[in-house]
Amino acid sequence: MSASSSGSRTHRLLAGAAAVLAIGALAAGDRTTAGGRVDVDALARAVEAEQDHVTAVELAAWIRDRKPGLRVVDVRVAADYAEFHLPTAENLSLTGLTRAAIRPDETVVLYSEGGTHAAQGWFFLRARGIEHVYFLRGGLYEWMTEVVNPTLPADASPAQRAEFARTAELSRYFGGVPRIGGGSGPTRVDDPAAKLPRRASDGDGAGAAAVQRVRQRGC
Amino acid sequence: MIFPLIDAEAGAGGAGLGVALVLGVAFGFALERAGLGSARKLAGQFYGRDLTVLKVMFSAIVTAALGVFWLSRLGLLDASRVYVPPTYLLPQAVGGAVFGVGLVAAGLCPGTSCVAAATGRRDGLAVVGGMLLGVLLFAEAFPLLASFYDSTPRGTLTFPNLLQVSPAVATAALVAMALGMSAGAERWERRAGAGGGS
Repeated sequence: MSASSSGSRTHRLLAGAAAVLAIGALAAGDRTTAGGRVDVDALARAVEAEQDHVTAVELAAWIRDRKPGLRVVDVRVAADYAEFHLPTAENLSLTGLTRAAIRPDETVVLYSEGGTHAAQGWFFLRARGIEHVYFLRGGLYEWMTEVVNPTLPADASPAQRAEFARTAELSRYFGGVPRIGGGSGPTRVDDPAAKLPRRASDGDGAGAAAVQRVRQRGC
Repeated sequence: MIFPLIDAEAGAGGAGLGVALVLGVAFGFALERAGLGSARKLAGQFYGRDLTVLKVMFSAIVTAALGVFWLSRLGLLDASRVYVPPTYLLPQAVGGAVFGVGLVAAGLCPGTSCVAAATGRRDGLAVVGGMLLGVLLFAEAFPLLASFYDSTPRGTLTFPNLLQVSPAVATAALVAMALGMSAGAERWERRAGAGGGS
């Protein structure tokens, strides 16, 4: 008699555990790594509101200001990453991205050469339920033209000039060469800050050569 | 460590066979301790006297479902790599019926027949022998059966896909159903035990 009552107590305990786990499953929902559910409407709205990407200048400011929780991710192949990559960037393949551990308080910025792979990676991470994800709009190409070699047209408006002063400061921080006056005979900006030592994190010579190659390949 | 420990597509290597052996022995031990090595237990299910088999089956299903859900939810299991057998509607219905006739006639299923044989029951040995004979006949007759075997394919079906609900909802509904059924089975057994006696 006592054996059967202790048996039924065990059964009730097990049934209770199963019920708790089942209710917990409802509460936890499905944020599995493989095949999470995608709120397509929410993603489409984010894209329309242009909340899906950052510009090269915005990213440069984040890197320089050491934005807390920022993770810059290079989704190109390892060889390209080894040749040249943005300061503070880590290398993750697109398949690596679908499994990478990312904390909710981190802000992830993906970049590729042109921008397509990074945009696809953005979707993968959003599908995994990761909120703070952006991609570099024009990829490394935009970084080269907007941050490393920004150019102000000679006939720029005062507003454009003011904007360019900020960009030029960022550019110099990353070892760039801001120019004024379009394509022919670039002029160095006449600014004492231009004499500041370059502080790019990557080796300057190798970086410049790789920049040249990226530019030649285009996007 | 990421489950599944053995990749079905990687083939059965030495390590895979070792894991399968350990799991199989543990499974057989549990079946024997639950009394399922006895054909009387299974026959009791079909006479409605003893619903142990029903409860065992559903406790196994609930354990596996909750295990798969939570392990993959916690990132320990890659659920997309768990093998789900594809559905072939008609051949599987016919196969199920043949299997059912054998199950009722023998009072043992493939797993419990091995347990029964291992504990020295002669009916268990006979069922294992019959099972191997059936496997041989099926393999020899396969060219004749092949077109039927591959008919009415429906792909890999799962409840979440079929019912368009999330795995969490499907898992919770399954557990609720199993718990309700187990409670009902207990009540049925008590009434059958108290009322009849025969």
